[in-house]
Formats: sequence, C-alpha cells, structure tokens
Amino acid sequence: MESDDMHLLTVVAEAILEEMLIDEVRGMGAAGYTVTDARGWGRHGKRRGNWRQGGNIKVEVVASAELCDRIAARFKEQYEADYGLLMFTVPVALKN
Amino acid sequence: MAFDPVVLFFLLGAIAGLAKSDLKIPMAIYEALSIYLLLAIGLMGGVKLAESELLPLLLPGLAVLAVGSLIPLIAFPVLRWVGRMPRADSASIAAHYGSVSVVTFSVAVALLASRGIDYEGHMVVFLVLLEMPALIIGILLARMGSKGPTRWGKTMHEVFFGKSIFLLAGGLVIGFIAGPVHIEPLEPMFFDLFKGVLALFLLEMGLVASSRIADVRQYGFFLVTFAIVMPIVSAVLGTLLGYALGMSMGGTLLLATLYASASYIAAPAAMRIAVPQANPALSIGASLGVTFPFNIFLGVPLYFWMAQTLYSLGG
Repeated sequence: MESDDMHLLTVVAEAILEEMLIDEVRGMGAAGYTVTDARGWGRHGKRRGNWRQGGNIKVEVVASAELCDRIAARFKEQYEADYGLLMFTVPVALKN
Repeated sequence: MAFDPVVLFFLLGAIAGLAKSDLKIPMAIYEALSIYLLLAIGLMGGVKLAESELLPLLLPGLAVLAVGSLIPLIAFPVLRWVGRMPRADSASIAAHYGSVSVVTFSVAVALLASRGIDYEGHMVVFLVLLEMPALIIGILLARMGSKGPTRWGKTMHEVFFGKSIFLLAGGLVIGFIAGPVHIEPLEPMFFDLFKGVLALFLLEMGLVASSRIADVRQYGFFLVTFAIVMPIVSAVLGTLLGYALGMSMGGTLLLATLYASASYIAAPAAMRIAVPQANPALSIGASLGVTFPFNIFLGVPLYFWMAQTLYSLGG
C-alpha cells in the first residue's frame, strides 16, 4: 500500500485508556495501530510509568489524512475533558 | 505492639524514593510480584476454605458485605459536606475507602502467621467480595447529579476481569479444589516464599508511595485527617462485627484490616474509567500516600490490640 497521502497520528494518553482507544481506532476502520508504553511529564504531572495507574501509552496509527482527523476529533470529544491526552499528525510516505 | 519486620521494606523503598535514589523495580517484575501475591493469597484462602463448611458462611457473609457497604456511605457525606469536596472526588474517595487493599491484608496475614494465630479461610472470600460493592456505590454516588458518560460496560469488565479479582478468585478456586493434601507440591512456591515476595512488593510500594507522600501537603489538613480517622472508624466496625459473628481473634483482625484498608489498585482503575471527573491524585494520594503506610505501621498493630482486648474482655 505505497502512498504519499498518508498521515501518522500519534496519541499520547493515560494507560488506562488503552482498550477504549484501540476499540475506537478499530471501529473507525483503521488498518492497524501500534501501542508502546510511555512516560513523561506534562500538564497532568509526571507520568512515571512504574505502575499501571501512573503510566502513559503512545498509540500510533497510519491512515488517510481524513481518517486521522476523524479519529483525533473523536478522541478529543470523548476524552479530552477528563483525561491526559496529546495528539498530533504528520504526513508520512509509506514504503511498503 | 504487634509489628512485622516485613513492613520495614516499605520504609526502605520510601526512603529510596524520597532521596531520589536510582532504585527502580522494573514494571515486569512489579507485575510478576503482584500476580504472585494475588494467587498466593487466593490459594491460602482456598485451602483453608476446603477444610470448612460452606453453608454456615452465607449469613455472616451477607452481614460482612452489608456493613462493608456502609463504609462508602459514611465516608461520602463526610467528604462532601465536612470536607466540602466536589461530588465526583467525594464519591471516588469513598469508593477507594470502601474497597480493600490486598497488600494491607497480606501484612495482617503475615503478622498472624508469625505469631502462629489461625484465622478463617473464608476471610479471603470476603476479601474478593468486598472489592466490588464500594466501587458500584461510589459510581452511583458520583452519578447522582452528573452528566458525563459512566462507561458501565468497561467499568464492570475492569472490576470483574481486572487481574486483582480474577487472580484472587482463581487462586481461591484452585486452592479449594486442591485442598490441603494436593496443594503440598505448590507449598514451597506459594506459601513458604510468601513473606519474601511480600517484602519485595512492599519495597516497590514504598517507592511508588514516596511520590505521593511528597505531595501530601497539597491535599490539605482535612484529607490527611480523613485518611487516618476513616480507617480507624472502619476497623472498629470490623472488630465489633467479627466479634458479634463469633469469629476467631485472627479472623476479627483480618476483617478489621479489610474494612480499614483502602484500595489503590482496583479502585483507581475502575474510578478513572467510570468517574473521570474525579481527580485521581486526591484519591490515590490519600489511600496510598497516607492510609496505606498508616495501616501497615500503626493501623494493623492497633487493630490487633483492639481485637485482643475485646476477646480478653469478652472471653
């Protein structure tokens, strides 16, 4: 699926949201996703990642720009008010 | 005072955390230790349960659940109207204090084991059952007057299939089926090593709690006082109920400890999903930063003394 019109959506969120975010990503038709454990610091304080309640995850989805925008809009509406959430997209060129 | 040296490992971890030592228990080891503890506690209870009759446990079980459900209902109005905290925070904290802590329970079990005092196996059944009602009550208390989504499905999945309930109940069933004879090959792993693993786990808890202890000032005088007084009130309820139900002294101590303990694994996860408006720093800070250390250092020895005194007075 080589394409120049793809975006990488990166979502950094609280680890507790993992299942919910993944369900949404799949439900909205993304072809795949990658989740990694993450830790860091931000508006919601230091996220140490040394136990489940204190950890973050990074969810990455490569999809069309339109789908990335829809997923981001959905996450913003559902989770932004109550949970730590950071999202951004960058254009990517798929090589395989 | 009854005191078990295993709790000193918590202190060691807390000092390491406060002194910014590079000590860090890897996540995978923390997970493995918690899986071990949950299974071991479940197995111990299951083996003891296999030796007792089940039917007579029904009424005491209901009484233990009913009184346990009172704890969040007592805590909520205190937090809401005395502490003037927002509804979501009051409900979430009430749920944490109504639910139970497996590690606090384990410290009390270790204390009884080191003194050779027996206890009823069904205390572990109560441990499993008591995790849940307070969480549901907390969610309902938060719902009254809030609009946001509750995500019941995800929350219930978290409560029933989250690893704490799942492994405790699983260990309990395996221990019950195996009974005292067939469990023997597993004894060196799950019973003999229990205290050593608990020590390692407490080291990690100390590290985690130290980050909360440092924030305690932020929570204010009210919440810190609540985090110490509430467990004592709950323990008095547990001691009186245990005595009234004719439990052994060891069983009464464990019931008091269960009521007094505040959850910091199951409840934070469930509350974060179901009541996301609540600030998790407040509930985890109080339960892990104040109540957990209070319970393992002073609380459990105090509840031991309470049970001992009541039983020596009552004969």
